[in-house]
Amino acid sequence: MDEMDLASQALDVTPWGPESYERARTVLRGAMAESGTLQEAAPMPEVVPVRGRGFSRAGSRRRGTLATRGKVGIGAGIGAVAAAAALVLVATSTPQPATPTSQPAAPTGSASQTSAATSPLMTLAALIKASDNGPLPGNASLVIQNQSGSGQPAGVVYALYTDSGIMYTGGDKQTLMSGMTQPLDPRNSATYRWAVAARSAASGDLAAARKRMINTFPNCFGLGLSPAAQKQIWVKCLAAGAALRKEKGDKTPAKQPTGKELQSEIDNTLWTACYDAMNWAGGDPRIREGVLRLVSTIPEVTVTNSTADGQPALIMTAEPPLFGDSSSEQVLTVNAKTGMPIRSVESGGGLATSTQTFQFSRVTVANIKAGKF
Amino acid sequence: MASDAELIGRSLAGDGEAFMEVIGRHEVAIGAYLERRVGREAAEDLLGDVWVAAFESRRTYDRSYAEARPWLYTMALNRLRHYWRSRPAEDLVPDVTGLANGWDPWPAVDVRVDTRTVLRAALAGLRSEEREVLALVAGEDLTVADAARVLGMPAGTARRLLHQARAALRNAPEVAALLTELNSVKGSK
Repeated sequence: MDEMDLASQALDVTPWGPESYERARTVLRGAMAESGTLQEAAPMPEVVPVRGRGFSRAGSRRRGTLATRGKVGIGAGIGAVAAAAALVLVATSTPQPATPTSQPAAPTGSASQTSAATSPLMTLAALIKASDNGPLPGNASLVIQNQSGSGQPAGVVYALYTDSGIMYTGGDKQTLMSGMTQPLDPRNSATYRWAVAARSAASGDLAAARKRMINTFPNCFGLGLSPAAQKQIWVKCLAAGAALRKEKGDKTPAKQPTGKELQSEIDNTLWTACYDAMNWAGGDPRIREGVLRLVSTIPEVTVTNSTADGQPALIMTAEPPLFGDSSSEQVLTVNAKTGMPIRSVESGGGLATSTQTFQFSRVTVANIKAGKF
Repeated sequence: MASDAELIGRSLAGDGEAFMEVIGRHEVAIGAYLERRVGREAAEDLLGDVWVAAFESRRTYDRSYAEARPWLYTMALNRLRHYWRSRPAEDLVPDVTGLANGWDPWPAVDVRVDTRTVLRAALAGLRSEEREVLALVAGEDLTVADAARVLGMPAGTARRLLHQARAALRNAPEVAALLTELNSVKGSK
């Protein structure tokens, strides 16, 4: 044995599972599908992609308000929809005043409530996995969201979530198609990270996937870091937030959360990412499976068996403690057999109740670009 | 069986599955290479990026080379460099567990823990170019010529760097002691 043998042995690694390679191939397939058509389209630089949330907001409680903000650009043309798309993942940390409000419009029906940490979500995730029939048709999921409430006129948002993790949105078909003329790099986007995290959860390593989903957007938690490194991050976070608090006249000294408060903030972030991923990318069964597994780890989410629109349903309710107040709630209703999102309802926190209903379908990027939908 | 170069040619002619076949031939090797450099979790994230980068660059592939693996290593190394460059900017993204836990690009599996520790210390003392050549030759079983191709340097330079790397390892007292011990154990059996 010489130094080269030693190095060779030391560099040995254990083989990966097939799902890891498949995930990488899926990314490639998505890019291949898009490259052929994107080359034919004229770029429209005024359309901006969905972007991740900024660091300065991290650490404060937030509610997954993607759907609500997705309405901003409805019917307002390309530029406005572009702005809406940019906003989709921006500025979500509105403080939630503890004011009473109406109850979420959850479906009624026979209800047996259980903790999300117990089996219903995991059972449904297993059901989705068992129903996996191999490659999905198409290379993207289209969701048509009908939105109402939130003090704004009812409207529709079209969102295309490609298998490579890019999301395009538009308030109508034409705007969606126009937005797709700009090639986007998915690799640094939050929407891409949803897919990675959810698929990671679906493949089994729930602890790692949980961390990935929490880190979909930058935050102050420093998960996996040493206490000293975490403290450093919090110091920077608190300093970044200090100016904003001062502008708002908030003189309360901010401090690093610990214990139960910290755990609740982490869970809030996880829920928000899961909720967003489900609402926009839930057309992909592997993402649904992964998200359900992830939500099952959040103790502040309860699960109820029910029916919705004539379908057997599971209702996931993110309770007020998750939002740090006494009234905010988010309710996500999914089909109890497929996990497909049916509707989501947000209420409390001093905001009007808003409801989104979903119609998901599998499509090809080429067909959507050609207006065949 | 079609060579990688032929498959890439077919891919350029519009046969998407041809490129997937190239990927299928090399994914285990490229995945392992990435894992050795950044750990499993990040490697799994990066592998898809490598394929996309390779697909987008396939027009630049020199089809006089029948096998594409060295070229794919180059793609992987470029993605790694991009990844490493981007890390400081992501300091506040806390998904750096690997680093926090003493990220180790040279994970030993079947060798004694001492081997990893000793080698890590010795490898840390090498120049980065020496490390790159050594990693490709010792870890990826590439020839020196192929390693040179991956790194975009003359074969003679790669050979010199490998020679320097090996000498540095051999002369590191801990490595020398470990080799003596391992060889004496082997010899006594």
